[in-house]
Amino acid sequence: MKPQWLQILLALSQRELHGYAIQRAVLESTDGHMTLWPAMLYRSLEALETEGLIRAVAAPADEPPDERRQYYGLTKAGRKRLAEEAELMARWVSVARRAGDR
Amino acid sequence: MSESGSRGVRVYRVLLHLLPRRFRRDRGAAMERLFLDMVRERTREGRSPGIGFWGRVVWDTIDQAVRERVRPGRAADTPRSSRGETMIGSVAADVRSAARSMARQPMYAMLTVLMMTLAIAGNAAVFRIFNGLFLRPLPFEDPEELVDLDETAPQWNLTYTGIAYPDLVAWREGNRGLEGLGAYSAGSADLVRAGERAVHVELVRATYDLPAVLRLEPVLGRFFTAEEDIPGGPGVALLSWGFWQDQEGGRSDVPGTTIRLSGRSYEVIGVMPPAAAFVTDASVWVPLQDDVAAFTGWYLTGIGRLSPGVTPAAAREDLLRVHRNLVEKRSFNAITSPVVSRMRDRYLGSLRAGSSVLLGSVAIVLLIACANIAGLMLARSLVRGREMGIRVAMGATTGRIVRQLLTESLVLSAAGALLGGLLGLWVSSILVGHLRQQFPPWVTFDLDWRFLLFTAGATVGAAFLFGLAPALQSARVEASQLLQGTSTRASTTGSRRRTMRVLVVAEVALALVLLIAAGLGVHDFRRLLRVDPGFRTGNLLTYSLSPEGERYDGNDRRLAFWSDHLERLRALPGVVSAAAASTLPLGGHWGWLFTVEGAPPRAPDEPNPIVLNRVVSTGYFETMGVERIAGRDFDDRDGRDEGSHVVIVDETFRRHFFPEGGDVLGRRIKAAGDSMWMTIVGIARDVRHYGVDQELQPGVYQPVRQFMSRRMQVAVRTAGPPMTALESVRAALREQDPELAPFEIGTMAQRYDDALWTRRAAAWLIAVFSSIALVLAVAGLYGVISYGVTQRIPEISIRMALGAGRGRVLWRIMGEGVFLVGSGMGLGLIAAMLAARLVSGVLVGTSVTDPLTWIGVTALLFAVGVLANLLPARRAASLQPMRALKGD
Repeated sequence: MKPQWLQILLALSQRELHGYAIQRAVLESTDGHMTLWPAMLYRSLEALETEGLIRAVAAPADEPPDERRQYYGLTKAGRKRLAEEAELMARWVSVARRAGDR
Repeated sequence: MSESGSRGVRVYRVLLHLLPRRFRRDRGAAMERLFLDMVRERTREGRSPGIGFWGRVVWDTIDQAVRERVRPGRAADTPRSSRGETMIGSVAADVRSAARSMARQPMYAMLTVLMMTLAIAGNAAVFRIFNGLFLRPLPFEDPEELVDLDETAPQWNLTYTGIAYPDLVAWREGNRGLEGLGAYSAGSADLVRAGERAVHVELVRATYDLPAVLRLEPVLGRFFTAEEDIPGGPGVALLSWGFWQDQEGGRSDVPGTTIRLSGRSYEVIGVMPPAAAFVTDASVWVPLQDDVAAFTGWYLTGIGRLSPGVTPAAAREDLLRVHRNLVEKRSFNAITSPVVSRMRDRYLGSLRAGSSVLLGSVAIVLLIACANIAGLMLARSLVRGREMGIRVAMGATTGRIVRQLLTESLVLSAAGALLGGLLGLWVSSILVGHLRQQFPPWVTFDLDWRFLLFTAGATVGAAFLFGLAPALQSARVEASQLLQGTSTRASTTGSRRRTMRVLVVAEVALALVLLIAAGLGVHDFRRLLRVDPGFRTGNLLTYSLSPEGERYDGNDRRLAFWSDHLERLRALPGVVSAAAASTLPLGGHWGWLFTVEGAPPRAPDEPNPIVLNRVVSTGYFETMGVERIAGRDFDDRDGRDEGSHVVIVDETFRRHFFPEGGDVLGRRIKAAGDSMWMTIVGIARDVRHYGVDQELQPGVYQPVRQFMSRRMQVAVRTAGPPMTALESVRAALREQDPELAPFEIGTMAQRYDDALWTRRAAAWLIAVFSSIALVLAVAGLYGVISYGVTQRIPEISIRMALGAGRGRVLWRIMGEGVFLVGSGMGLGLIAAMLAARLVSGVLVGTSVTDPLTWIGVTALLFAVGVLANLLPARRAASLQPMRALKGD
């Protein structure tokens, strides 16, 4: 899985977000290392949507309404895929640790 | 929303058009919103979105747009709704695939780019010059209406005499074909501004109506009026824009100030516009103020503006009518007649042949390079057979493959063109730096759309030329190859080899044409360098002086000045000798008409050649190294009184005026319109006064005492390098008269070189181009023969296994190569004969059929061609047949 996909899924696992908020969240969680510039972000969102991992959702009631802002949330498949992906990475990490110990 | 934010969003919206339409429709609004958020965030944090931000945004959009468009499988789920999008997508894919394919074979790509670089550099450089000389419109308003006006006098052996003022006035009043006409004459003067030292400046004396003809308006003040442009009119002057900027700092209160020009006061009444510098680079404009009633000679340069719909020929006919009407008052007008020519034809017409030859040469280089690259591509297409086959198998159409291969050609061609264009600009800048001084100021070499269009056209044209045939062949052949296995291999390589042979024959033919042209050009130039100029050019410092004003009124005062000046010079250390002349060799023309005492009167239409008149000081022949064949030098008694006027004539004068031969010394000649007979006391060797590439004209020398000219040129023969004497010369002059400034300072050797510079540059260029052509053609030849040998290794091995001797194999391969060279040379000779007429226009002293050049160049090409064959042929002959057969 492409790193930016993983980061988007991670960001959306906490709550439903719009594009700018996803960008901020990814920037923060990667300590400022990954900026998802608009075209890359929206192409990734489209790809994730096509894969059925995320879906467009209505804006939460407590946010100011702006019809240009599209909110996204994880689907069930998305949540499952994220868990698998995390599991996979954990395994790699432990393999890498063991390799490093030897 | 902040203003910058909204402007930024508008720009971003445009940028989003790079993305496919569908994507933009679905996501565009959200992306704009995100973009705006990012801008606001940065503005809030006090760092306005700068170049770094925009750079990343633009890159992000382009990068993702390309990825989106070439995304695999996209074609399947989106129907071809918009043709343009899929085109762009697949072109991007083609470019990528081209880059990949080049990366796989970097040598091939580098060779191609190198050849294109050389070819495009030559084309760009030569075209820039050609464009400046012949294509760019003149830098004036409605330039196509402007014509050069002059007079011609074939009977005096003069193509251009300059216009006489009375003729100009008559033309101005009587003609019906010109909307307006004006004239000017270049000069120079010592300029003194309040409280400053004298500087020598170029000035131009113009008729009052010249700016109107050129549609130029002073940027400050006004031009002089018809009332001021009369004999004895007021002293009024305009400054050139450049002089005003550099010397007066562009101050607007310049009009109304007073300057002194060669001892006379002038009121500055205005400043000329920058475009006036395209007429003359003079610093000061003053009214001509010539007198219709006086005889002032032919000396004006005229510019006219054609009335709408009038051709130069028609305007000339009309001027001729006016001109001839004047014959009763001015008998000269039966001999002279007006000339009306387009500005370029007049001043640059003689360069057209040379420029065309150079343009032809670079075109030939480009063609040879294309043929070579095409050959390379053909050879390579065999290697790429598999790749193409797979593509065809996967459903690529012929058109698609041709397009992919053409894209590769275009990418290579464009890379070469970029480098070549830059190289060409650099080369042409060196040329332009020198050329500027050789042409009228209205010739400019700035870059323009013509240059870009030409270079782009040459690039794309070349890509198609070298790419199309191989691409078509690959596409056609590989499809069939795939269907029929490798059984057709032999025949397809056969057809490929035929194409390559045709290319090589064409290359050899083109190279021969260019080599012959270059051989003739270089031979001609070398011959020019060997022409004896008739004087010694080395160790001569030259400059001009123009002693004017009251101090130098009258012949006696000026004579005293000159003898004093020359004495001072001769006393300087390091000075061998010094002399002054009205005009030194390569220093300008001053023509007089002469009659011989006792000669039968001339018939009205009998030619009476104009004679170059040189007024020289004592010591002139010694200083210049001009030999005297007979008689004596001038001495101090010559020209003191009426009976003692003398003249020294040159060989050409003797031939023209004393065709019967006999002793010329002691005979007398007389200038037209003069009563004084001059006795011939000596005969001097001919001097190539107008340059070694120009025809000899008859000439005479008179001592300064007989006819003192105002402006003189000084020649100082030095023991060491001439320029080292300049400081002491300046010091001597300052001591003599601090208000006099020497001008046109240089060395004779430099003048001599400058006069030949254009020819030297042209000879160099064509030599370089033809060398490139030779190398390319020979490389192409070698490549094809070598390729042929490689392809035929099995065949040759079988032959050898069956008993064919090594010598036989060698001769067979050589025979094939020699046949190609011979065919190319045959075609080349025919083409060269057809091109000879163009080349003959450029040559001065060499016949275009010069057998030495033709035979020498042909032999050279043949020898090199045979050598290029020898290597592959030897390789074939030294094959180990059994090993080669096993290896296959």
